[in-house]
Amino acid sequence: MSYVRAGAEPFFIPAGETGCLLTHGFTASPQEVRDLGAHLAQQGLTVLGVRLFAHGTKLEDMNRARWTDWLGSIEDGYHLLASQCARIFFVGSSVGGSLSLILATRFPPDGVVTLATPFHLPPNPRLKRLKPILKPLSYLLPAIAKGPPDWHDPRAQDERVAYTGYPLRAILELERLLAAMRSALPKVHAPALLMHSKNDRFIPPEHMPQIYERLGSADKRILWVEDSSHVITCDAEREVVFQHVTAFIQRIVASQSEGVRDEPVA
Amino acid sequence: MTQIMKGGQPFFIPAGSTGCLLLHGFTGTPNEMHWMGEYLNGRGFTVLAPRLFGHGTQLADMYRARWQDWAASAEDGYYLLKGSCDKIVIVGLSMGGALSLLLSSYLPVLGVIAMAAPYEIHDWMVRRLRAILPILSLIYKSRAKGPSGIFDPMAEQVHVDYEGYPVRGGYELQGLLAEMRSGLPRLHKPLLLINSKLDETVPPEHAQAIYDTVPASDKEILVLEEGGHVIPRDLARQTAFKAAGDFVQHVTSGSG
Repeated sequence: MSYVRAGAEPFFIPAGETGCLLTHGFTASPQEVRDLGAHLAQQGLTVLGVRLFAHGTKLEDMNRARWTDWLGSIEDGYHLLASQCARIFFVGSSVGGSLSLILATRFPPDGVVTLATPFHLPPNPRLKRLKPILKPLSYLLPAIAKGPPDWHDPRAQDERVAYTGYPLRAILELERLLAAMRSALPKVHAPALLMHSKNDRFIPPEHMPQIYERLGSADKRILWVEDSSHVITCDAEREVVFQHVTAFIQRIVASQSEGVRDEPVA
Repeated sequence: MTQIMKGGQPFFIPAGSTGCLLLHGFTGTPNEMHWMGEYLNGRGFTVLAPRLFGHGTQLADMYRARWQDWAASAEDGYYLLKGSCDKIVIVGLSMGGALSLLLSSYLPVLGVIAMAAPYEIHDWMVRRLRAILPILSLIYKSRAKGPSGIFDPMAEQVHVDYEGYPVRGGYELQGLLAEMRSGLPRLHKPLLLINSKLDETVPPEHAQAIYDTVPASDKEILVLEEGGHVIPRDLARQTAFKAAGDFVQHVTSGSG
């Protein structure tokens, strides 16, 4: 027995001085970034994958969650990792990327990576009509079923540890979180890598340029993948994603140590 | 933007492959465990203190907390610590002590230290009103705390916690303790209970009740003469730290 579901446990793999704070998305679990974490650890990076509050336990827990609880969870991970690492990168999948951007305004990282991160809630006409009554409705109807999975690599579904429905009340919190992210964007100055799939059926690819344009970072770039749906850390091109994230982090680390070398030797 | 109050942050101090998971108490923060963490780290142990859900932010967050959330936060700490340690001992204060005992009944840890851990709730309001607390807590959300009960004036000054008790939390605490009590008969791990003679919140009788229920053969109660409920911050803390350090050494120094 355990209160955190098997497969949804947070993880920590200590290695070098450079740490990566990995954050999963809405209704997902640390499983979503576990393989990415293992890959980064193989490259000598310390990784910590947080479990966001009310994720990886029971779907009903989600309706007690406020978006600030999720910010608290990622901040917890930051403090734990910061005591071990001199350099820190934030890497977030989907809404985990939104939280990474918000946290970056308070604890500026050495770099931030967002993977399939939404700019706002995808418009849903059914949800729009329900919105004024969503709070009371959530007591009667705690969650709505998710649509069928649309993995480009169907094997990803077998390993997936996530809720099978969307918690109604938490959707309102998600909306607030994304509003906080949008106002955070100009205040983020860390080097940034944004990735998204052109065939994301859940968060339309147009969201990435919208984030990109508003981001305060001078060093920022976007990269596309194609043979994936929303969860690009687990789908068909995950290895490509892992390599780009690694290359981004290694580039920043290398440029920083060059900076050190440029200093006159006393 | 930050969510966590100063002193409310979780902490991690890496050292060797033996790890201590440090769990704070009800309405407290990881800060309560910090001196103890520094001591244990000084003895070569890796220490990690998670922030339990609803703690270290604002009191209103506690109204939404369920005891299962606290167990899950404690488990999170365990899984993170497991990343750098192969031998783990859980150490908890008060409600954190209850969580330590609960988690030790199902996780593969090598030992457990519970400081001022309650066996049951004695508070008359919480006991008599238990059935209606969830409803009552919607209107009557919190109540004022009395004095902290910390004898050490210096520690009292730097204590970080909420100014009140969440009423719903009293109900949740009872749920947690019921679950803890049902786990005690399965607890065969080495156990050290540390209590203060002058603790008015959780007097040493609680330790005796836990001791009597646990089937472990390696179990001990240490009663401190000085200080109150918040043992790792109070006057006899050095005695508690030394006993805890010796216990961790003892239960992890076997084969492997």
